[in-house]
Amino acid sequence: MKWVGQSVHRVDAVGKVTGETLFPGDVNLPNQAYMKILFAQRPHAIIRRIDTSKAEALEGVIAVFTAKDVPNNEYGLIMPDQPVLCGPGSNKPYADRVRFIGDQVALVIAETEEIAAKARDLIEVEYEDLPVVTDMVAAMQPDAPLLHPDRGSNVFCHYRIRKGDVEEAFKRCDVIIEGEYRTPSQEHAYLQPEAGVGYIDEEGRVTIQVAGQWTHEDQEQIAHALNLPLEKVRVIYPAIGGAFGGREDMSIQIVLALAALRLHERGINRPVKIIWSREESIIGHHKRHPFLIRAKWGATKEGKVIAAEMQLIADGGAYAYTSTKVLGNATLLCTGPYEIENVKVDSYAVYTNNIPTGAFRGFGGPQALFAAETQMNRLAEALGMDVVELRLRNVLREGSLLSVGTPLPKGVSIAQVIEECAKAAGWQQTEDGWKRPPKPQNPAPHLWRGIGFACGFKNVGFSFGYPEQCWATVELYGGAEIERAIVRHAGADVGQGAHTVMAQIAAETLGIPLERVRLVLSDTALTDNSGSASASRMTFMAGNAIKKACEAALEKWRAEERPVMIRYQYRPPATTPFDPQTGKCEPNFAYGYVAQAAEVEIDTETGHVRLLRVVSADDVGKAVNPIQVQGQIEGAVVQAAGYAVLENFVQKDGYVLTQHLSTYLIPSVLDIPERVDSLILEYPDPLGPYGARGVGEMPFLPLTPAVIAAVHDASGVWFSEFPLIPERVLRGLGKLKPLPAS
Amino acid sequence: MAIWTHYYIPQTLDEALSLLCREPQSKAIAGGTDLLLELQQGRHPPVRTLVDLSQIAALQRLEMSQGALWIGASVPLNRVIAWPPVRHFATALCEAISLIGGPQVRNVATLGGNVAHALPAADGAIALLALDAQVLVASPEGQRLQPLLACYAGPGKTALQRAEIIVAFQVPACEKEEASAFRRVMRPQGVAIAIENMGIWLRRKDERIEDIRIAVGPSGPMPFRARQTEQVLRGKPLDEETLAEAEKVLKSEARFRTSPHRATAEYRYHLAGVLLRQTLQTAWERTQLNFAEELGPLSVKG
Repeated sequence: MKWVGQSVHRVDAVGKVTGETLFPGDVNLPNQAYMKILFAQRPHAIIRRIDTSKAEALEGVIAVFTAKDVPNNEYGLIMPDQPVLCGPGSNKPYADRVRFIGDQVALVIAETEEIAAKARDLIEVEYEDLPVVTDMVAAMQPDAPLLHPDRGSNVFCHYRIRKGDVEEAFKRCDVIIEGEYRTPSQEHAYLQPEAGVGYIDEEGRVTIQVAGQWTHEDQEQIAHALNLPLEKVRVIYPAIGGAFGGREDMSIQIVLALAALRLHERGINRPVKIIWSREESIIGHHKRHPFLIRAKWGATKEGKVIAAEMQLIADGGAYAYTSTKVLGNATLLCTGPYEIENVKVDSYAVYTNNIPTGAFRGFGGPQALFAAETQMNRLAEALGMDVVELRLRNVLREGSLLSVGTPLPKGVSIAQVIEECAKAAGWQQTEDGWKRPPKPQNPAPHLWRGIGFACGFKNVGFSFGYPEQCWATVELYGGAEIERAIVRHAGADVGQGAHTVMAQIAAETLGIPLERVRLVLSDTALTDNSGSASASRMTFMAGNAIKKACEAALEKWRAEERPVMIRYQYRPPATTPFDPQTGKCEPNFAYGYVAQAAEVEIDTETGHVRLLRVVSADDVGKAVNPIQVQGQIEGAVVQAAGYAVLENFVQKDGYVLTQHLSTYLIPSVLDIPERVDSLILEYPDPLGPYGARGVGEMPFLPLTPAVIAAVHDASGVWFSEFPLIPERVLRGLGKLKPLPAS
Repeated sequence: MAIWTHYYIPQTLDEALSLLCREPQSKAIAGGTDLLLELQQGRHPPVRTLVDLSQIAALQRLEMSQGALWIGASVPLNRVIAWPPVRHFATALCEAISLIGGPQVRNVATLGGNVAHALPAADGAIALLALDAQVLVASPEGQRLQPLLACYAGPGKTALQRAEIIVAFQVPACEKEEASAFRRVMRPQGVAIAIENMGIWLRRKDERIEDIRIAVGPSGPMPFRARQTEQVLRGKPLDEETLAEAEKVLKSEARFRTSPHRATAEYRYHLAGVLLRQTLQTAWERTQLNFAEELGPLSVKG
């Protein structure tokens, strides 16, 4: 193929390299005013009174807005359980309370950022503190303080899977492994903190330019909170400096629109600009869910896993965000990519006064697979069986039934992916089954090395009955030949290279040079709803929409229509939600499959864990742009390495103790794995555009359990909690005394 | 957001001193890598006037004189690192400042700032203490040479007055049978401040340690000299018995504490033993080298 499968230069490369490209913080409009937000800075309280008079009296202050200025004071991606601004005078009950430190209380708009900040500090808020609950298990107790009194419980989501009879099956097991696993929170730490401008555009629409993941969802959330018809709200994405799920929910979108609207109503037609500091960003947007997972798995001595019982509890923080979807994904993935006859899963999402948790690369998968894959590695140890051999005896194959009682969509490649990864990492297939490579030599007596293995799978596209869809519009211009193709698409390029892939697929399908494709992007006034840049779905969904739009356009072109305009909506096969009793469902229409091997070195004196080499085998169906796929794999491995080893997000009593990048440590170039071997595998998905699946999340999923297994290989110790910070490692190795149970 | 009102770039020491005396709320600035951040984050009292010390010739000195290295207080660290005598005759210092920040930071950060900022685990200061450096300080009354620790009043608190300027450091050059080494533990690699660091200078006589200086951070409010540990090691061979005793004494005389989310005191006490053994061993091995030519590449991160 001429364009699909080629590592063409990114369409946004030149602008970004030369600095011409504007990110939201770079967008400045004439006569703009500046906004600062007053955050609650306390984890749980009722606001009795807000006095903004001193702030308003300060010279240079244009306006101060509070809860009473919000037309419809609620929002939320899945359920509207969060006030836009917390405080008295809301049209919704219980919107007068703050539930985490990043709740927004007031907006100050002023001539300069300094004045806005000064005025913000002059606002007087009278709080009545409420009891704080930050432990997810404590929050589940009947006498726990309720975050949302109207809901009657802090447990806001519960799923069940019942397949076969685990109790009976455990009786037939030769080996049973039980574990209790805890996973940490994680901050997205994208390069570009939240920023943007809000104004009324030339057609009278409330308009914002921000970074996000789904223009049309932002538009809907804004319209809902401002009581405006959809068409009176416009959302535009300039270049986006990373997202990783962290821009899936609202941060500054609604308040920017609110400020622009309310100023306009007062006859002040000035754009409003805001840039969050890193510290504001860290408390202002959600985090990855911490999970507590209890696991009991059993296998026969032949290496057949026949029973798995799982209990998952996810700390949802103060508001739902996408917790219900994250929990659903974790519920499905917590038994790994294996066909297990008897499965029982109970999963819960719980409100606490911690920072809300939500979407983050992997979407519940990394937590679930950490438990599942560690269980699998421990079962292999107990059975005396190679970890690859055990997996291959249990993996899902074409036609295998998932825990939810239905088969996977066609194109199941996990067995091949495991084999390819194992081979590249030094495993050998012998007459007695697969054999791991010899343990790597320790370079010094205190430096211990080991190798670990794990695998996984990740849905591509929205799951569990969501009406999944994606629009694309294609226009063809020219005479004898197509001189110009305009592709209109809302899909967000968050840095992953989606726009380049869109152009490649259009050029390929139309059979024209890439330079003749012009993209019109990410503006609700010019493009139709594409769905989110999440769930590893953009290549699959946008690719299908653009490909089919191009095919239809080409047909008309061949029938001599000039110019051609096709507006096309792609809809994949429908999925279904969990049955409330058994969990039975058809959860997804496509998947990607992944396996990873990691080699680590533990410094047993300092406790430092270093990643020497990672082999990541990823079935992406078809790599539309191979170097971008490699970038996704390497980027995900680096981010997952931070999650496994380094990143330690600490909250105490609802306060964040790691609010700077000097205390919340992300990997530097000297911390990342010395070598990442990306094995890009292409087992086509029958529904994918040119066979493509997705890649954004997959390579994140199995790294932690692979590292945990490698550390066990090196030291003989199983860690059931991470990140593997030096002190945790030394305590695990018995070199520091264990911490008293908290 | 402006964090100062006036910025002066004096060409002479006298000019700088008189600016600092004259201007209210004034502060000397060299590389500014710590100061500007603290001002921006509101962790430093507001300043009105910054007096830039980067253009003053006396502070840019780099020379060997009478058995000592003279290192100007405002020479950027990357220039100090690239100056061969530092590497040859004050190896611990070269190792220490090679670990400060990243390359961009080292292009502007200075040793004067490292000491004036007065942190108890500043890498440069720990190495200078182990090397027994003296500090040349200028004030309106004239210049004086004083011991390093006389510059410290507490954690992050310098003993220097507002109108006093560090001009240079006098670092005794290692002679035959003498060597130094520096180690630190940090996370993440490359850009973090030390969880714990250690500098050691020693003189060897045959198979014994004739003399030794050990500096550790962060132990107590200022860079810490482990004098009792030094006493245990003086005159001893470097064997397991000596090491075990030294480790015990170090852990009893050092004062480590817990920094939330960085390290517990317990971990730091553990690391003290690890760093002592590693740093001591490296310095000891270096005494056997016939000076710089055989020193080989340092683990300098560039």
